[in-house]
Amino acid sequence: MFDDLTRRRWLLDAAGGFGWLALAGILGSDQGQAAPHFAPRAKRVIQVFTVGGMSHIDTFDFKPELKKRDGQPFDMPTFFGQGGNLWACPWEFKQHGESGQWVSGLLPNLAKQADHLTVVRSMVARSANHMPAVAQMNTGFILTGFPAMGAWVTYALGSENENLPAFVVLPDQKGNPWGGSVQWSNGFLPAAVQGTAFRTQGDGPPVPDLTRPEGVSETARKGAMQWLRRMNERYTATNPGDSSLDARIRSYEVAAQMQVSVPEIADLSRETDATRSLYGFDEEKTAGMAKNCLLARRLLEHGVRFVQIYQGGAGGNWDAHGSLIANHQGMADEYDRPVAALLEDLRSRGLLEDTLVMGITEFGRTPVSQGSGKNAGRDHHANCFTCWMAGAGLKPGFSFGASDELGYEPAENPVEIFDLHATALHLLGLDHERLTYYHNGIDRRLTDVHGRVLWDLFS
Amino acid sequence: MFIERSSRTSGSSIAGFAWRVLPLLLLAILPLVAAATEAGNQGPAVLERRCLACHGPTTSMGELDLSNRETALRGGTRGPALVPEEPENSLILARVVAGEMPPAAPLSETDKQALRTWIADGAVWPGEISERRAGNDWWSLQPLRETAPPPVQARPAGWSASPVDRWILAGLEAAGLQPSPEAERRILIRRLNYALLGLPPTPEEIEQFVQDSSEDAYERLVDRLLASPHYGERWARHWLDLVRFAESEGFERDLQRDHAWPYRDYVIRSLNSDKSYLQFAREQLAGDVIEPVTRDGIVATTMLALGPVDGIGLTSAVLEEREQVREDYLEEMVGTVTQTFLGLTVNCARCHDHKFDPIAQEEYYRIKAAFQAIWPPTLPITNGGLDEFFPFGLPVQTPDERLRHESRIGVLDERMEEIDDTLGRLFRSVRPERTGNAGPQPRVRWTFDVDGRADHEALHLRLNGNTEIAEGRLRLRGVDESEEDDKAEDEKPPKPVLGVAASPRLTRDLREKTLEVWLHVENEPTKLGIPMEIRGQSGFRGAPLDGIMYVAEKEPRWQNFSIGSFRTADVGGPAEKLESGDQVQIAISYAADGTISIFRNGRLYGDPYQPDPGSQAGRLQLYGEDDSLLRFSVTDSFSIREARLYDTALPESEIDASFRAGIQDWTEAELKARMDPLMRARIAGLRAELKHLREERANIPSPQLAHAAQVRDMEPTHVLIRGAVNRKGPVVEPAGLACVPGVPTDLGLATDAGEGEWRRAIAEWIANPDNPLFPRVMVNRVWQYHFGQGLASNPSDLGFNGGEPSHPELLDWLAGDFVRQGWSLKRLHKRILMSQAYRQSSRWNAEAASLDADNRLVWRHTPRRLTGEDVRDSMLAVSGDLNRQVHGRSYRPFDLGAQIGSLRRYELTTRDTPDLRRRTVYRMNTITGGDPMLEALDCPLPAVKAPKRPSTTTAVQALSLMNNAFVQHRAKGFAARVQQEAATLDRQVERAFSLAFGRLPDVDELTSSREVVDEHGWESLSWGILNTSEFLYVR
Repeated sequence: MFDDLTRRRWLLDAAGGFGWLALAGILGSDQGQAAPHFAPRAKRVIQVFTVGGMSHIDTFDFKPELKKRDGQPFDMPTFFGQGGNLWACPWEFKQHGESGQWVSGLLPNLAKQADHLTVVRSMVARSANHMPAVAQMNTGFILTGFPAMGAWVTYALGSENENLPAFVVLPDQKGNPWGGSVQWSNGFLPAAVQGTAFRTQGDGPPVPDLTRPEGVSETARKGAMQWLRRMNERYTATNPGDSSLDARIRSYEVAAQMQVSVPEIADLSRETDATRSLYGFDEEKTAGMAKNCLLARRLLEHGVRFVQIYQGGAGGNWDAHGSLIANHQGMADEYDRPVAALLEDLRSRGLLEDTLVMGITEFGRTPVSQGSGKNAGRDHHANCFTCWMAGAGLKPGFSFGASDELGYEPAENPVEIFDLHATALHLLGLDHERLTYYHNGIDRRLTDVHGRVLWDLFS
Repeated sequence: MFIERSSRTSGSSIAGFAWRVLPLLLLAILPLVAAATEAGNQGPAVLERRCLACHGPTTSMGELDLSNRETALRGGTRGPALVPEEPENSLILARVVAGEMPPAAPLSETDKQALRTWIADGAVWPGEISERRAGNDWWSLQPLRETAPPPVQARPAGWSASPVDRWILAGLEAAGLQPSPEAERRILIRRLNYALLGLPPTPEEIEQFVQDSSEDAYERLVDRLLASPHYGERWARHWLDLVRFAESEGFERDLQRDHAWPYRDYVIRSLNSDKSYLQFAREQLAGDVIEPVTRDGIVATTMLALGPVDGIGLTSAVLEEREQVREDYLEEMVGTVTQTFLGLTVNCARCHDHKFDPIAQEEYYRIKAAFQAIWPPTLPITNGGLDEFFPFGLPVQTPDERLRHESRIGVLDERMEEIDDTLGRLFRSVRPERTGNAGPQPRVRWTFDVDGRADHEALHLRLNGNTEIAEGRLRLRGVDESEEDDKAEDEKPPKPVLGVAASPRLTRDLREKTLEVWLHVENEPTKLGIPMEIRGQSGFRGAPLDGIMYVAEKEPRWQNFSIGSFRTADVGGPAEKLESGDQVQIAISYAADGTISIFRNGRLYGDPYQPDPGSQAGRLQLYGEDDSLLRFSVTDSFSIREARLYDTALPESEIDASFRAGIQDWTEAELKARMDPLMRARIAGLRAELKHLREERANIPSPQLAHAAQVRDMEPTHVLIRGAVNRKGPVVEPAGLACVPGVPTDLGLATDAGEGEWRRAIAEWIANPDNPLFPRVMVNRVWQYHFGQGLASNPSDLGFNGGEPSHPELLDWLAGDFVRQGWSLKRLHKRILMSQAYRQSSRWNAEAASLDADNRLVWRHTPRRLTGEDVRDSMLAVSGDLNRQVHGRSYRPFDLGAQIGSLRRYELTTRDTPDLRRRTVYRMNTITGGDPMLEALDCPLPAVKAPKRPSTTTAVQALSLMNNAFVQHRAKGFAARVQQEAATLDRQVERAFSLAFGRLPDVDELTSSREVVDEHGWESLSWGILNTSEFLYVR
């Protein structure tokens, strides 16, 4: 009657009133793992988030009818109210692998992974507006103040390595996604489960306040830490009954460990040249994303539960209102090789079996053009888009759902983001209806009052 | 087993067990509630999607209606459709599994599974009411009870006859528990200091209190602290948590709100002056319409407008998207109002009746109706005519003040305009008419030799503050630095980069057209410029827009301007090469067939083009009367000599004629030379008067701005069916909630009452002495902040999910007392703080803990870690670095980074200057500009209502306290301070301990501390002290 998860919850509550004994990291080894609701297929997650809205009809959703009706008028409301005529995908689509998954020429490397991808072509979003759309993909809600999926998962499962944050975010070098740190916020969950954003540009430590300040010698810090520990132990001994005091002592030990372990893990020079070039360190276009993808793999190997990689930021992303061809080619050139390498690398190391990889975005793009000639783009399109997944006991080389002949809206099995979340949680051994947290009158869930598990995707 | 409930009962199954064995004085056995039964229930969704078209209420093939439980159980011609909890005996499932239904397209495996699970779970339809919910008999929906405090058997030493102590003692007695003895004085003063001020007591204050043997020493201490200006700062922070005080708008742009801080000061002032809580609440809901209107009343309404604003969504081209964003904003507002003041989650009834409390969906819309007209304050339409959603401040003026201010300004403005007119007339009277080739006749011409008046039509330009007319051109105004010298660096307006002048809206439609502008090159242009444009105003994304654009790329060129890229194209004209002093004529014609042609100095530039004629946006744009306007922009590169607007698409020959006709090119000196001396004198006189009037105008102090609620027209409020913006139900008027006793739901106003009357009425309904929830919620909050948990443990939800209170009679007594004491928060504090219950020590008692681990019976004082703000403020206080300035503009510990795309970046600074060493309540609370150290110490995201704060202990928190630059600065300051204030190392260590812990070190501590200083320097020890649990906890 008192399983690990219950005990963990009890420990979190035990200090009473306001007192939360922490958390993820600290409950670590001596408390054992928090248990999921049932046997999980995946232990960890990587999300690759294409910021700005990756066009489904130019990547994974092949629409021959669109080619036939290229240039014909089509009346639809669009976000900017400047909808033009139907516009076929300017890249050539081909079937790939034994599974025959359709992937466009925009993603030649990812296409080689077609037999390992599980593609959902009938996604529906609730907002065609960037920030709310990113928020919905992360938190289930289009409003601010809700916990990100990584925070929920951390809340439920904790970390596998107490010396590392359980939920790590790797923003693009081109800046944060819309909404910035709100997108990996703990919302109303305890601060312990919020995402830790690694610094991915410039020099300096990957995590704020990770390193000893300049001018403080190692011996001085050591001496002060010893004194501090003694003081804290005395205080704890004279004030029994407050477990958060013990937790504080542990937290300093863990912090000291992190100071050593995080820079080691973030040191990508420890990887072989072969690995580095597989990811694309050798090319300027791919170097940034290669770094994040490889770092993500290293973090997972060391027990990080949930890694989110953003590709695209406020300073450059997939938001191709104009010049779709140049925009998507440029973004795809950054994305394709490193992400394909990540899948390949995870697979060759046997990690893909129990890792869930998710290729997610904000929304799709309109089948009609916005603008014309070489400036033509596509507007935001929430009615229909594509996400892909891999690993974690999913059916490989499998497609689910379909859009209509123009890619305008789902023709079968519409999948809401709640469904995607419910499915991902299920793979992690969590029942999305039972993972709840009471806040301001409601038992909140990642999936609000929606969500269904997509059983069809499981092998 | 997995406990679904988390923090609600601040407990667990273990605590729950203990409760059940307790005697019954406390009737409240905390309920563990089943999860929302409909949550995640997919069966009905499958029915709706795949079955109801044929088996619904309108079409019931086979006489089967699956839309509700009753008819489904009754079934159709083949019998009952299903048996709850028995999927294998349910006809509907059998037919679905057999692939017979739905005909032609069987259900997917996922859907079949969903149906099976749903039936097995009992087949509950959405909208059906779970039995686990509150009715009108729920405890918090009763009038305040006036119960006499219980007698107690034996009163332990110090325990008073006060009702607070008697109820607490009775609770302990009934559980067979003893209260704890009174805490030591040095503990008490530290506890009180943090409770009321959020700052540690000084060693001198501690000693004085410890030595004070008079009977009323404790009471005088409480009084002294309540009178401190820091009291308002401390308690304002609690209030700001509730009303999600945010100084940026959130969402995609997260633009800063520069004028939200007056509200924070209003809260501090109101608390320090012990304003009646009734008035405090009413002001925040309707202070702008409660007579007599005060400045405080206007600033107070900022509370309503503080929710996150999706400024992009509000201007979407899709109507439903805009409505959705607006509804979300209002739901957030209703949620904040009802949770903060009533402890009810009325917002949960937006899409359906409340699942747990007796609040009907319609009642949500009645409350919303009272706030329907409230908008976030946005930039008024003066700056070039853009109606976009930029956070802005409204002037804080009472109606009288506004009248006086406006009439004073009005008189000046009128006279200045008169003078401008006269000057223009005088100059024009000597200006000779153009002769020879006059070129084509424009519909409107704007000249800048005198003013920005239009001829032929009254489309006279209005200039924004960065723009001026001088030397025959419209140009960017140079800023006179001397005027701004007395302002703080970051209050100085940034150097203007863009000057704008806009016309009034067109008085006639415009379709075919030509825009023509004559530019003077001030400096070789390096940036994009849009000197002349025409734009519609109805929602900028959907609105038409065309203009003349200079594109500063490697090969600079002229292009048509349009938002997005839709109507624009590189026409392939030659690369532009302009130098300072050049003059160039650019024109663009827009033909009926959609063709766009660009001309430069009378010659076609590049190739004409037709932007996608198949689409609406690709065709010739209609610029509607009373909607569209002209806008001129000048930069440090381009100024404008003249501009013309034609209502035909001129051919090249005509444009060439216009070019050859040239522009009105008279200088002021030339015109003056044509005047007689009398006229010149008159001009000089008028100019002198104008200068004087301008100065007088500039010297009228502008009103303070505040992020106060902007009231727009009240529109009818429809009930939205299932909360969907496109499914409008009946119109409703504002009203109170039927479940709240003591206050009638009917607000007693006629249907045609004004917005202000309705809102004032709902404010008086909420903040009303006869509304039992209003005082009850507030006393429970105050209790929570003093004891660590409320008598009811979810202070913003006294509904079913919030659970039941531990001491219901005490809660009601305190609420009644609060009303009787004139809604004085300070008296309420004193009532609580004077109790012996509050003065107990925090000593652990294993026996009591085994019965009541959560200490809901208050058998001791619950120790707590300081809040993030307390930690930061205390470090500043003990290091002697605290800047105690009260009130004023928020300090900004970040630089406003370049705006990348639409995202505002707040780049945190590690600068350590006195202006940043103020108390944390004065920190600018932007949503994305948070401080990692404060966040690690559980400071909430500003957009989130935080009636309770968790207290976590994490490694990231430890890293912050170890390595954050702020902590290093304080350690340094602390070390310097003690070395300055004490001579010997022993005395210094003692001083440091007194400052940080309120006590002296013992022998061991003294020795080990000396060793640290000897071996590693003072800063190592001061750093260590700031990291100790003893410093960071209050007992």
